[in-house]
Amino acid sequence: MVKYIFQRIIYMVITLFIIATATFFLMKLLPGSPFNDLGGKMTEAQEQLLMEKYGLDEPVPVQYAKYMAGMVQGDLGVSFQYDNRNVTDIILTRLGPSAHLGAQALIIGSILGIILGMTAAIRHNTWWDYTSNVLAVIGISIPSFVFAGLLQYYFAVQWRLFPVSFWEGPIYTVLPTIALMIFPMAICARFMRSEMLEVLGSDYIELARAKGVSNNTIMFKHALRNAVIPVITVLGPMTVSLMTGTLVIEQIFAVPGIGEQFVRSINTNDYPVIMGTSMLFSVMFIVIILIVDLLYGLIDPRIRITGGKD
Amino acid sequence: MDPILDVRNLHVSFDTYGGTVQAVRGVDFALKKGETLAIVGESGSGKSVTTKALMGLVAKPAGHIPKGEILFDGKDLTKLSNKEMQKIRGKDMSMIFQDPMTSLNPTMKIGKQIMEGLILHQKLSKKEARNRAIELLDLVGIPDSTKRIDQYPHQFSGGMRQRVVVAIALACNPKVLIADEPTTALDVTIQAQILELMKDIQKKMDTSIIFITHDLGVVANVADRVAVMYAGKIVEVGTVDDIFYNPKHPYTWGLLGSMPTVDGNDEKLIAIPGTPPDLMNPPKGDAFAARNEYAMQIDLEEEPPLFKVSDTHYAATWLLHDDAPKVEPPEAVKKRMKGNISAGEENRS
Repeated sequence: MVKYIFQRIIYMVITLFIIATATFFLMKLLPGSPFNDLGGKMTEAQEQLLMEKYGLDEPVPVQYAKYMAGMVQGDLGVSFQYDNRNVTDIILTRLGPSAHLGAQALIIGSILGIILGMTAAIRHNTWWDYTSNVLAVIGISIPSFVFAGLLQYYFAVQWRLFPVSFWEGPIYTVLPTIALMIFPMAICARFMRSEMLEVLGSDYIELARAKGVSNNTIMFKHALRNAVIPVITVLGPMTVSLMTGTLVIEQIFAVPGIGEQFVRSINTNDYPVIMGTSMLFSVMFIVIILIVDLLYGLIDPRIRITGGKD
Repeated sequence: MDPILDVRNLHVSFDTYGGTVQAVRGVDFALKKGETLAIVGESGSGKSVTTKALMGLVAKPAGHIPKGEILFDGKDLTKLSNKEMQKIRGKDMSMIFQDPMTSLNPTMKIGKQIMEGLILHQKLSKKEARNRAIELLDLVGIPDSTKRIDQYPHQFSGGMRQRVVVAIALACNPKVLIADEPTTALDVTIQAQILELMKDIQKKMDTSIIFITHDLGVVANVADRVAVMYAGKIVEVGTVDDIFYNPKHPYTWGLLGSMPTVDGNDEKLIAIPGTPPDLMNPPKGDAFAARNEYAMQIDLEEEPPLFKVSDTHYAATWLLHDDAPKVEPPEAVKKRMKGNISAGEENRS
């Protein structure tokens, strides 16, 4: 097990290196430079000076080597757009709200989704099943910003139950969380329902019934664990996309999150922030995939990893 | 002696979009203490559905029991609620399933799967249940039981898994054990082991067994009595000797005729022509008439009652009526009847 995790970490480092390299050169292909959008207020000599200051006048491979050398030491450089603020700093302050929202949406959404899917499967072919199916399809097919807009309009503007926007306390998280959690909830419900139906039709559930086990025990002790495995597969990547911020929701509710920051950096060619954020997303993604793989083993003994000898 | 289980005129139907399928259409049998009753018949004849009805495992709401009684312990099981059936399932009556590869929960240790029933029905503590589970594993012949109890099903072979399933079924010393084709998914050597195991356990515990199979070789080996089912009804019932040495129903002849013999490698197997009838619209008269070369006019019009051949032997065919022409079973079947005498003897010794 330890050996396996160690091996995975080495792969992760290699993967990150490849991602960093690819991102760096792709980013350099972006049109424009960080300093050319000032509307002619800057003379060429000034621009030249700035380029030199940030090392942008050097050939790209040299810049790449310097950046990588810095990254290995934990230095992600300084931002071009915010008075030379440290990139690590920017990312950390911006990541907080996004991660908070994402975690909230993911936890509530997936738990509700699993419950919804399970009950739909248990009450297969009843109005409950049909209703939850329709809800799930709506949740999957309608984009989150539509919900965000509706929620904002009714709950904040019309009924004044929640603040319209900004990020000043727990109550401010309610509407964006709901808008964000609908998609994961719908996905979980769909997967859970179909998986649960399959599991409930299996021989071992029938055997459990033949043992005289009660319905509830069958659901929670026998079926849930087997049915939840595919749900975890979809939850992994979804966690990353939720935690790393969703641009649209952050814009609508004026949440100072990292998604919004990321897009702005791309628009302004803020290379260090683009790199830093991409690297952060990659690290999170890879770590979560590792966690999901380890979780599989925890849930399903058939795919438990044994290091060589049992 | 009173039978332990008495099934009377049992009907089981399933509602589907196309209509109601009458899977079981009036089955009567009684099971005595310590006896093994084999139910044979081809796929779709209602064998499994009958036993599921006994266990109260007919899938609701599509499946239901419109008529009939299942008398067990003075109670009519068809009248019990699900909660009440839960107390009987696994305790008084338990079941062994066909495919051991799929009938154990893959994410639960086998020990826990065995202990579950013990804790539920016998109110044992975890520790007592664990000790009992180890005993059961020893009983069904799983070596190294103290270690194996903490393993998962995928760490067992097919035959070993079926032993675990048997252990689960036996956990609470059930009065009736229903085995639904317990050896079909196993290879021949393992089949023999599992059959031996079941016979052994029956001797030790004096359990009554209902054994569903379509393997007549297995029937000769394990059963005391045999019920032949066709299209949701029992068409012939008798002791093993009655059925193998003196079969009366043309369908039983067909089953015997389609069984390969040990020595007869030069002869063809005789298949029963046609397919079983559509039980959504069961035919008028004898359901087997369309496939029966001895069918008479009356077979198409009226269903035959069970004619008594002897005290133990009944068959539902008009051929047994006094006015019917005397028909001998076909030569091939006669040969096999003899073949079975020797095969049966060998198996018993």
